Amino acid sequence: MRFIVAALVVGATAVGLAAEPHPILVSRQLAARAHLAVGDRVTLAVDPQGSRRAEFRVAGIYEPTPDPMRFTTARLEAQLHLPDLIDLAADPADPASRESLTALNVALVDPASARQFGVDLQARAPGTQAQRTARSQSDDPFAVLERFHVAISAVTMIGGTAFLLALMVIRAEERRETVGVLRLVGISRRTLLASVALEGVVIASLGAVFGVLLAVATEGLVNAIFQARYDTTLVFVRVTPSIALRAILVAAPLGIVAGLGASWTLLRRNILSIVRR
Amino acid sequence: MTAFRLASRTIRRYRAQTGLAVAGVAVIGALLFDMLLLSRGLLLSFGDLLDRAGFDVRVSGGGGMSLRLPIPDSSSLVAAIRALPEVRRAAEIRIQTAILRTRVGRPVGITLVGADGANEGGWTIVAGTDLTALPAPPPRCPLIVGRPLAVQLGVGPGDAVALAIEPAGTATALPSLECRIVGVAQFAFGTATDDTVATTLGAFHEAAGEVGEDEAELILVSSTREAGPMAAIEAIQRVRPGARAYSNEQVVEQFNRNGFAYFRQISLVLSSLTMAFAFLLVATLLTVSVNQRLGEIAALRAIGIGRARVAAMLLWESALLVGGGGLLAIPLGEILATGLDRILRQMPGLPEQLHFFVFEPRALAIHLVVLATTAIAAAAYPVWLATRLPIAATLRREVVG
Amino acid sequence: MTIVDARAVSRVFPMPAGPVTALRSVSLTLSAGEHVAISGPSGCGKSTLLHLIGGVDTPTTGSIVFEQRDLSRLSEPERARIRLMRIGFVFQRFFLLPMLTAAENIELPQAEAGVAAGERRARTRELLEYVGLADRADHLPSQLSGGEMQRVAIARALSNRPALLLADEPTGELDEETSAHIADLFDRVNRDGTAILVVTHNPALASRASRRLVMTSGRVLA
Repeated sequence: MRFIVAALVVGATAVGLAAEPHPILVSRQLAARAHLAVGDRVTLAVDPQGSRRAEFRVAGIYEPTPDPMRFTTARLEAQLHLPDLIDLAADPADPASRESLTALNVALVDPASARQFGVDLQARAPGTQAQRTARSQSDDPFAVLERFHVAISAVTMIGGTAFLLALMVIRAEERRETVGVLRLVGISRRTLLASVALEGVVIASLGAVFGVLLAVATEGLVNAIFQARYDTTLVFVRVTPSIALRAILVAAPLGIVAGLGASWTLLRRNILSIVRR
Repeated sequence: MTAFRLASRTIRRYRAQTGLAVAGVAVIGALLFDMLLLSRGLLLSFGDLLDRAGFDVRVSGGGGMSLRLPIPDSSSLVAAIRALPEVRRAAEIRIQTAILRTRVGRPVGITLVGADGANEGGWTIVAGTDLTALPAPPPRCPLIVGRPLAVQLGVGPGDAVALAIEPAGTATALPSLECRIVGVAQFAFGTATDDTVATTLGAFHEAAGEVGEDEAELILVSSTREAGPMAAIEAIQRVRPGARAYSNEQVVEQFNRNGFAYFRQISLVLSSLTMAFAFLLVATLLTVSVNQRLGEIAALRAIGIGRARVAAMLLWESALLVGGGGLLAIPLGEILATGLDRILRQMPGLPEQLHFFVFEPRALAIHLVVLATTAIAAAAYPVWLATRLPIAATLRREVVG
Repeated sequence: MTIVDARAVSRVFPMPAGPVTALRSVSLTLSAGEHVAISGPSGCGKSTLLHLIGGVDTPTTGSIVFEQRDLSRLSEPERARIRLMRIGFVFQRFFLLPMLTAAENIELPQAEAGVAAGERRARTRELLEYVGLADRADHLPSQLSGGEMQRVAIARALSNRPALLLADEPTGELDEETSAHIADLFDRVNRDGTAILVVTHNPALASRASRRLVMTSGRVLA
């Protein structure tokens, strides 16, 4: 593949040109920006001055595969057959320019050997850079972003837990008289804690499920906003079953523990001090 | 007995829930503060790195700062720029890919920078000497190697290496040049895997086999304080119409539009969510707290305490909770920002001295305004509840219940 | 001088299961300095009548005139002002603010009335002595007995020198001996010129009144 800076010139071409222009594909964004349709004839050149130009026919309009690394960039691009691109971009004064490439995509027989292959290749051809496409490196940008978001989530959970505990303390205080009377008539701490735990399981589970449903609802909204903003089909937020399960597995126990903790601060006190206002 | 005093007494009475609520606000407030720091942190840090180099205008040959095409007839342009009254100094920069070979070890690909008077601020020497402080007679090909590369190759000041320029996309048979490392430096925009090596323009020309070539990739310009960068840009364009000259602000703005947009957007989304979260939590807490004290509040209203005082008391409670937590959030946020910054700086290809979270007074002001708004908004429903409750029915319920 | 003139007052509470008539065309007058007790079975409307006279609630039909002002025509802030300055409330459950000391609870209505700090403190000291709690000024309600809390509540009700003291089951949560002390205190308050309207099941307390009324099913019998 070769990437060149190209100037796109759209013009109506006079009928009766000798050769049929070669076909190209243009991205949806470019077609919209330059008001192109299938069948239009365009001129591509290597610079804005129109050096080394050639005429092509728009054979199709495609949706570029979303690239998370370039989602802020308008995807104004065209796809050519490689020989056409070389003919267009190669420097006629430099025979070697027809032989150089920007990048090579390589499919290995054994994908697991990608790292070693890259090391060996760079040793044999210094100046080249071999990069694995598999996202397994710890310094992969998306792995870094994932760690960032996990950190944000952890902080949010800590803050939310503090509030949850505060609410549970208030609820325990609201039931102080009831708890005192139950203890007076002989109900044990264990029984009361068990009832609080059961209540906590129900409320925390319902709350966690509600939270997941809310996340799914806002997922669509966030994606819609960003996709409209950046004119991309990239998905920014996705609530997967694994994420939903993780959220419930974190939230539910937190709710139960918060309820038990707040109730225990009341139950461990002397009965009379609970009953007295 | 002011409303503030009533509120502070209430806060002190319910210590456990108050302490927890303040802790919750502090943590969420810290996150909000950090998102405000993130919203412009990259811009400020990037701008700071640009400014630190000591130049405020950049002239390139391409259509932007990320794509470098050669500037034709650059030496005469540099001379003309240096002669401008709006310009304090100018430096010519050549950039090319090259191969470095040590005495032992494999050859490595590097980015060779030829600089003439541009080193002030462009890098910081950590070992050895700078290109401007070479001993007499100076070596034929003095090199400044970036710190990460020096560590990787196990080289330091005084070591001899072989340098061969290999421009991308071109077959070449240029001979390698024997060079000597005079210094190790931290480049202003150096990454953790930085492969930059700097040398003098003369050594660069020799390595590139350039005789009569006159194309630089970049010209760095420092404007005079009186004129400023925009006046310098106008003067440069008078000298060379069509010259692509950009001030540091314009460079930052271009990166802001392209590279940094994600973090601006994510900080906006997260700050909004955090603010909504804080509002919901404080409102819920206050509402539950008011419900817990409905009898007290009904009795207060019954003995003639007006709605205004009851409302003021609840507003003060909200302000104390959010205010206390909000103040704690600032130092907590600084600590959290350090951790989050460390995570994000693990991204490959980022300059080591670039930061995502940068303190500015504006962020602090917005943080305080947002918290104040949250405190008022969160108290709205509990205030409505307390001032509109049916006194008689509430008293009756309290007696029966 | 008549300070309360209730005429044909009815109060109907809309409930999901159907409207409940708590008061049926009740008429009542109260003179300055009078001590009246209202007794009756639970749910007969005693507390409802008290709340209406105190301006805490408004009648469905009829009128209640307090010191020549028709309470049902006044706005809530106007009624609150009357409750603050001219009426004192004493509740069965005391309803002292738990985070304020005894003295601070008594000062609270005075602060709302705009009384200067020095004058408030003097009046509060006077009231604490009046109710026999001068040495408990800095104690929180949780540090007081039930009888002591009710005495503080009475002192609070008297803080702005009201014309009328309304008491809703003031001895409901107290033992017999303590109730007798409260009844003595009410006598003293009445002797000093404050009219009292007390709702009570306590015959001993009711017997201290100069006029006793009995209510049943929302009506005043006698």
